Amino acid sequence: MGKLSGKKLLLLGERDGVAGPSMEECLKDSGAEIVFSVTECFV
Amino acid sequence: MDLQNQQRIKDAAEKYGAENVVVILGSSDAEGAEIYAETVANGDPTFAGPLAGAPLGLAVYHVFEQEIRDEIDPAVWEEQLGMMEMVLDGDALAEATKGIREEFSKWTI
Repeated sequence: MGKLSGKKLLLLGERDGVAGPSMEECLKDSGAEIVFSVTECFV
Repeated sequence: MDLQNQQRIKDAAEKYGAENVVVILGSSDAEGAEIYAETVANGDPTFAGPLAGAPLGLAVYHVFEQEIRDEIDPAVWEEQLGMMEMVLDGDALAEATKGIREEFSKWTI
């Protein structure tokens, strides 16, 4: 743990893969700041 | 990649410094992961968006790569990603993203 400490995270989720909010939940205690999180979808 | 998101990535790299930014992907297929990774590391390959001709060199990982998994509490991982890990080909997604990162990213974690 700690490799992400101090980093700025950009989370590019995908509706059919891993969504942004799931990644946010996983990484909120990583020591990094989540700058933005999105969930793209392809239809 | 959505053009608006390309702009947000470009803005974040300028604001915080490209060396401080890490992009994490949740893509469902290896081809998509490669395109996203290439876009943030070497510029938009379709030359359609704000990252066209902008090789930012950002560190980019798929959420299923071991380096990222190591940073996540195992219980939270299981709760949030356990099901998708069974459905998606995590190894292929990790390999695809790693390949592009090794070719184009200027930074890693």
